[in-house]
Amino acid sequence: MNPAVLLAGAAVDRNGQRVVQEVDLTVTRGSWFGVIGANGSGKTSLLRALAGRLPFAAGSCLVEDEDLSADRAGRAQRFGFSPPADALPEALRARDVLELIGGDLDAVRARLGALQAALGLAPLLDRWIGDCSAGMRQRIAIAAAFAGGHALVILDEPFNWLDPVAMFDLRETLRGMVDNGLTLVTALHDLATLATACNAGLMLADGQVAMTLDEDMLQAAARDPLAFERRTIDLLRS
Amino acid sequence: MGASERTHRLFRHDWKIATNAVRATFAAWQDRLVAAILLLMAVAGLRNGFADLPWLTALWAGGAVSLGVGMAAGRLVLARLAFHAFDGLLAADALQLPFRRRYIGAWHGIGIVMLSGITLIVRPSLLIVSVPAYLVGALMAGLTAAVAMPLRILDATRPNWSVRAWLRHPSAGVAAAIILLLVLLQARTLGPNVALAYAGVGTVVLTLALTDVDESAVRFMTIAGYGSGRIVLRLSRTLVSFVAVAVPGCWLILGAAPAGIVAAASALMFGLMAMRVLAYRLHGKRFADVLVLVLAGLLLLVGYAIPFALPVIALAVFWHLQHRAAAKTWLLV
Repeated sequence: MNPAVLLAGAAVDRNGQRVVQEVDLTVTRGSWFGVIGANGSGKTSLLRALAGRLPFAAGSCLVEDEDLSADRAGRAQRFGFSPPADALPEALRARDVLELIGGDLDAVRARLGALQAALGLAPLLDRWIGDCSAGMRQRIAIAAAFAGGHALVILDEPFNWLDPVAMFDLRETLRGMVDNGLTLVTALHDLATLATACNAGLMLADGQVAMTLDEDMLQAAARDPLAFERRTIDLLRS
Repeated sequence: MGASERTHRLFRHDWKIATNAVRATFAAWQDRLVAAILLLMAVAGLRNGFADLPWLTALWAGGAVSLGVGMAAGRLVLARLAFHAFDGLLAADALQLPFRRRYIGAWHGIGIVMLSGITLIVRPSLLIVSVPAYLVGALMAGLTAAVAMPLRILDATRPNWSVRAWLRHPSAGVAAAIILLLVLLQARTLGPNVALAYAGVGTVVLTLALTDVDESAVRFMTIAGYGSGRIVLRLSRTLVSFVAVAVPGCWLILGAAPAGIVAAASALMFGLMAMRVLAYRLHGKRFADVLVLVLAGLLLLVGYAIPFALPVIALAVFWHLQHRAAAKTWLLV
């Protein structure tokens, strides 16, 4: 099967500095790909570039066999992307946000399916975003990524700010959606989620790939999460 | 979602934010009353100011104001599009040329209609210059943005952040005062009127840099429990050190009148800084900047047209802003 996303030698610049370089990455269709790394390692820049929010400075980017390396708009159209929760407009309600992205609210709710319950979305719909807590905003931002009905979705650290119950429900629901065909790319700090929910992944350090994680490695990690955590932390420290 | 629905989605997004923000700002009838009075006074002041001007002077003044408004509007629209493409909900639209054009066209359409309406009230014959000058200003904003973007790529070491940090230190105020005094020493030889002009313009230019307000810092201090007064005092340390050196120094070099002008211009800039702090406590940067621009323009007009009313109107404006900003301390929003 052809991969959903194929990056080769990808590089990203921010403010004149190269923050991501020589990244090779393959995301299989209908899989969950996790990106881990220390703060400032380039995770967000890589995901933003993939979602068209930043240009690639070098390398190639194939999305569903189409070369979109130089086409930011094409990449932005192809991926659902959760905006930073703190950048959501305070003077709008969650309902407005979802309708602007996905049109009719009933259609958006149908697209979200089980995710609505996992995110506890119903009571948030008529709240002003300016009146929402950080966790509530995060839920709305995640829903926004799925409102357009994309088959490829990128979430940047989706479990930040969420309470333990919401984290559990969201992880289970996302895993179910991936099993039903969704292709998901997420930045993560949570090694347990990486080990138990992702199909593949990579670790970034100083903008470069420090380790790639295939399905076998992650299955082994799920069997012995403590050993995986120790090995990963050692690598992150080094 | 169909292509026709997407056509104006970006514009609808921002229009909704703007209308909701205006509704929230003027939620109480007192707020709406104050806004209506201020608006009426602003229009009356403009009409009064332009009616007395000779035709050619009015033409130049109208053209310059419209050019400035066009440039400011052009920069705002482009900055907003850049936000949409980077952090916005509708990045896919903001990155596509046809949607970008429609978005830019829609906002400038509103700008032209508003400017035309104001021109018709103030002095209808100025329409021949106001709309073209607005369009030229908007075009210039687009051209300068295209030049600024490649230059930004060179900005890797962020020297501007270091400069901004230093400008908040009292030593920056002393340095600025010394620069002003050196300029005034030179200007003294050019005659008293020129020296007065140098004192006023020099103070405004230098204190503009010293009273820079970082919106994110104000927001953080508000969340951390700082009241408006405490934030203003903290940000005014540089200005205080400037005044402490510049006013006595100017008095010694040029006399009391130029020193008074330096003090008055510094007080004016202090007021502008305080207004920005209050606005940033209440609103996001873009809306707050527009609000400050409108209020400062209004106070200038009042000062020009009905100077005796200026203290009352200025107090009303500051009281209104402070009244609403006070409730924001400690709030995590």
